[in-house]
This record gives sequence, structure tokens and C-alpha cells, in this order.
Amino acid sequence: MQVQYFLLLAAALFCIGIFGLITSRNAVRVLMSIELLLNAVNLNLMAFSNYIDPQNIKGQVFTVFVITVAAAEAAVGLAIVLAIYRNRDTVDMEQFNLLKW
Amino acid sequence: MAQYLLQTVWLVPCYALIGAVVGGVWSPGIIRRTGPRPAGYVNAIMTFFGFFHSLFALQAIWNQPAQQLSYTWLNAAGLNLSIDLELSAVSIGAMLLVTGLNLMAQIYGIGYMEMDWGWARFYALVGLFEAGMSALALCNSLFFSYVILEILTLGTYLLIGLWFNQSLVVTGARDAFLTKRVGDLFLLMGVVALLPLAGTWNYTELAQWASTAKIDPRVATLLSLALIAGPMGKCAQFPLHLWLDEAMEGPLPATVLRNTVVVSTGAWVLIKLQPVLALSPVASAFTIFIGALTAIGASLIVIAQIDIKRALSYSVSAYMGLVFIAVGAGQDNTALVLLFTYAVAMATLVMATGGIVWNNITQDLTQLGGLWTRRPISGLCFIVGALGMIAAPPFGSFWALLQLGDHLWKTQPWLVGVLLTVNALTTFSLTRVFGLIFGGKTQTMTARSPELNWPFVLPMTILAGIVLHVPLLLLTWNLLPNWANFDIAIAGLLIASTGAGYYLGARIYLNDRWPKPVQFNKPIQDFFAYDLYTAQLYRITVVFAVGLISQIVYWIDRYIVDGLVNFVGIFTVFSGQSLKYNVSGQTQFYALTILSGIALLGLVVSWPFLSHLSLIVGS
Repeated sequence: MQVQYFLLLAAALFCIGIFGLITSRNAVRVLMSIELLLNAVNLNLMAFSNYIDPQNIKGQVFTVFVITVAAAEAAVGLAIVLAIYRNRDTVDMEQFNLLKW
Repeated sequence: MAQYLLQTVWLVPCYALIGAVVGGVWSPGIIRRTGPRPAGYVNAIMTFFGFFHSLFALQAIWNQPAQQLSYTWLNAAGLNLSIDLELSAVSIGAMLLVTGLNLMAQIYGIGYMEMDWGWARFYALVGLFEAGMSALALCNSLFFSYVILEILTLGTYLLIGLWFNQSLVVTGARDAFLTKRVGDLFLLMGVVALLPLAGTWNYTELAQWASTAKIDPRVATLLSLALIAGPMGKCAQFPLHLWLDEAMEGPLPATVLRNTVVVSTGAWVLIKLQPVLALSPVASAFTIFIGALTAIGASLIVIAQIDIKRALSYSVSAYMGLVFIAVGAGQDNTALVLLFTYAVAMATLVMATGGIVWNNITQDLTQLGGLWTRRPISGLCFIVGALGMIAAPPFGSFWALLQLGDHLWKTQPWLVGVLLTVNALTTFSLTRVFGLIFGGKTQTMTARSPELNWPFVLPMTILAGIVLHVPLLLLTWNLLPNWANFDIAIAGLLIASTGAGYYLGARIYLNDRWPKPVQFNKPIQDFFAYDLYTAQLYRITVVFAVGLISQIVYWIDRYIVDGLVNFVGIFTVFSGQSLKYNVSGQTQFYALTILSGIALLGLVVSWPFLSHLSLIVGS
């Protein structure tokens, strides 16, 4: 077990999150992809905390904060999706292109 | 008193200018009620003053050494432009000729311009010419000669274009200006190139410089050729001769001047430059060649003309060609004498034919005829003028031609042949014109043709009288060839050529039984009648080339230079118009852009480390 494997796993998860973030048509799946990104970040923080800073474990503290903020962000994000849904009756991301050129 | 008049002889050009300016007040737009005639009277009076002033000045300078006057015009950065004047018997004599002929032409104009409203413009321009030519006669500086020549070129343009509602006048004035301008510009090159070599533009100093100068023969040749090009255009020499033909569209009193003194301005400068031209044998040969070519060519053309004015204008080119030959052969004095004898004779001829045009309307020689019994004065003046021009023994030009022939016989005998040919052809053509106007049967256009009133007859007869007195004048001025050493054979040949020309001309044109119009080999007749197709020649060479180049340059300017700048603008507009589609409105696309940016930035920043990455993974 080395730190690199954790980092690679986190990077892979991040990339999957990016892919989902950019390609998803459903707004909720976009939010879910963001959660994946944040979890990838959390993995990184935990890995670094474990292998590089096992004494002070600042990374774990960061992770707690990230989870907290992620929860808040998901709440606000879902609220925004609901607000848009009420106006436009859809959560299709490709319908939300009113602010173009 | 005489000395005072001599010292103030530079006022003569000013008189003419004052006349021109004051006369301009009677322009129809300014004085609207009383008609334009005072313009002519004012100018004639000023010319009269100028004539008598130069006459007294000539008496004062006679047999005296030449005097030099100099005024600084501009002195800047080491270049001293001074207006040098030379008061010599020759220069003041030339001025006398100019003012005298102007006086005659202006009095003639009073008659000729009777039915015209443009007196102010006409007389202002004639006054400008008089001023310019008098100033040129006095001027002893090449630079200011050039300045005056250019002003006269502009004057020619305006004077030919007097009646500008006629389309042929407009094209004629255009051609006269451009053709003479081209020659003048070459002259300017020569003038500018001469200063570093000689260090002066004063003719006297130039002659001194040329007598000892040692310069590269090629430089001398190019310089002399440029200096010849100006007079070539001014004197209507081949190939810059078409303008004189087209200048015959202008008013006739101006033609009197143009045929006599205006074309002589170029010859005057050429004569003054002779010492410089003599530096290069090639240039002398070129001068002679051009002169001979023009003399022969123009005398042939003149025979084929049916327009009364053009039938004289080509003789002008021919005689200027003889002057060129004289200058090329180093015969300055002969050239000056020839200019004098020729000018008075030609003025008489043009005035005599102008009177015919005035009340027979047509200028077409084939429509004239049978005027001798009813127009004796015009006829006699024509005969006197003709005799004064050709080599008819006691009369003027004979002596000049004799002197020239005598000299040429010793140096370049073949040129005597040219001289004889030109003389014979000119005699033939003058006999032809005389025969067609005065001989033969009366035609419709000449059925009623009264002799003219005094403003025509007075100057014409005075000039005829002067022509008759020219031999006496030459005798008193000691300008006749020395009896002891001139070749009787040359005189005999000249007289024989005159006789041959006259005999042939009289046999054809003073003979009612010879069928008119005279038919000859048609292509040759046309070739000369259309002045060797010079107009077409210009059109397919210079005019075509300049036209083509200007079209190309215009095209390049319009499409390539303008296009390049416009392309920058269009490109910017196009890029703005197309790049705006990057703002797609898709949030996910923005996210992709941001992430691509971060990835790219990361890649660039970590580029130095990336090469080690594979090593780490590999280990």
C-alpha cells in the first residue's frame, strides 16, 4: 500500500466526476458528479494526511470541513435545480442555454 | 538719357506684364458694360513703350561691350540664385525683335479679334508671352531661362486653349503643354546636373568653364542630350513636333507669335548653351541629326497639308531644324541671323494667310483659289514673306543659309544636301500654298473676298517692308558673309534648289491645266498628310505605356494596397463574429473550458517535471 495508489485512485475518481459533470444532461447527475469530485479530493486529503502528516492529521480536519461544505453545497445546488425546474419544467442541462452570445 | 534707358532696359518685360494685368480688368466678368477692347489698346500701348525703350537701349549699347547686371533672388545654404541679365547688342536686339513682332501681332489682333469677347484673356496671355520672351532675351542665367521657359509653357497651354468650348482646342492645348513639358523636364535634369559640374548657371561663366572643362565623355553626352531635349520640345523638333500642328487650333494672332518667336525661345537657349553642348561630339552629332531629320521630314509633311495654317506650321519645324543643324555645327551667329531673318518672314507669311482665313472662313486649301486679282496686298505680302524665307538672293534668309552652307561644305558636306533639299521643298510648298490660294479659279468659298481693313494690312505691310529691308540691315550690321571667301558654288546650288522648287511648284500649282487636287501615290500622300501618323505613334507607344502603367498602378492601389488594409478590418470583424459562438450558453461547456484551461496551465507549468514522470512510474 503506497500513497501513489491512493492518489491515482483519487485522480481516477476525479476524472470520472469530470466526465459526468460535463456530459450529463440531468442537472441532478451534474450535482452527483460534483459529489464524486469532492470525494476524490477527500481521498487525496486523507491519503496525504495518513502518509505524510500522520502526527497532526491536518488533512483529516480538512476532509471534515470539505464534507460539511459539500453537504451545504449539495443542499443549495438541489434548491437551485428545484427553482429552475419550477420555472422551466425540466432539468435537462441542454435547455438551459439562454445566456449565449 | 540713353544710358539711363539702357540701365533700365529690364523694365521692358515689366511693361508687358503691366499691360497684361491692367488689360485683364476688361475681362467680361469684371467690366460688364463697355466691352473688352481697351484691353487690347492698353497692351498695344505698353508693347509700344517696350519697343521704343529697347530701340533706344539698342542704340546705346551699339558697338559697346556687353554689360552684366545681377540681382540676388535667393541666397540659402550655399546656393546663390542670382538673376543675371546681359545687356548686349544681341540680347537687346532680340528683345527689339520680340517687342516689335508683338506690337505687330497685337495690332493684327485688334483686327482679327474684332468679333470676339475674349480680348482681356487673349491680350493678357500675349502680354505674358511678350514679358517672358523679353525676359528670356535679357536673361543670362540658365536657371532663370528654364523658369521663363516653363512659364511660357503654361502660357502656351492657356493661349492655345483660348476658345476652350472647341474640343480640338482642348486636346491641342493638352498636347502642347504635355509635349513641351516633357522636354522641359529633361532640360531641368540637365540644368540640375550642370551645377555640380560647372558651379554656375551663368551662360558667360558656363562658356568659360566649357572651354577648359575636362569631364567624362559619357557625363558630357548625357548632360548635353538632356539640355538638347528641352529645346527639342520647344522648337517642335522630331519626335516632339505634334503639338505645333495641334497648336494651330489657337487664335491666329497668337500663331503669328508662336511660329516666329515662341518656338525660337528653345533655339535661343540652345544657342546660348552651344559651348556646353560642344563638350560632347555625340551631342553635336545628335543635334545635327535631329535637326536634319526634322528639316527634311517637316518639309515633306508641309507639302501634303491641306490646312492653310498647318501648311505653314511644319515649315516652322523645318527651319528650327536648320537652326539645330547650325548649332550642332557650332555656327551660333549664323543660327541667330537665321532666327531673325526667318522670324520676320514667317510673321509676314502667317499674317498674309491669316487675313485670307479671316474673310474666306475656310482654312482648307482645296477650297481656296483665284484670289490674286482681288487680294493683291495679301498676295504681295505672301510673296515677300516667302522670298524672305527661302534662299532667294537679295533677301534675308539667303545670306544665313549661304553662311551655313559655306561652313557645312567645309565640315560635313552631306548636310549641304539637307540644306538644299529643305530649301527646295520649302520653296515648292510655299509656291504650292500661293498657287492654291491666289492662283487657279475662284471657288465657292472665295467667290467674294474683299481685301482687309487697316489693322490687318498695316502690320502685314510693315513686316513685309522689314523683310525687304533685312538685307540692308544685315549689311549695316556687318552680318553679310565676307565677299572674299564665300563659296560661289554654294550660292549657285542654293539658288538652283530654290529655282527647282519654284519651277516644280509653279508647274503644278500655278498651272490651271494640271488636275486638282493633285493625285500622287495615295499611301505616300496620306503618310505625309497625316504627319507620318505621329498621333497614332504617340498613342501606341508613350500614351499607351503610360496609360497601361497607370491602370496597373491604380489596380494595385485599389485592390492590393487597399485590400490589405481592408483585409485586416474584415478579418477582425470575422473573428469577432465567429469567436462569439464560444459563449455557447451551456454551463457544462464553460466548465469544460475552465478545466481545459487549468489542465493546460498545469501541463505548461509542470512541463519540466513531466519528463521525469515516466522514470518515476517506471521505477
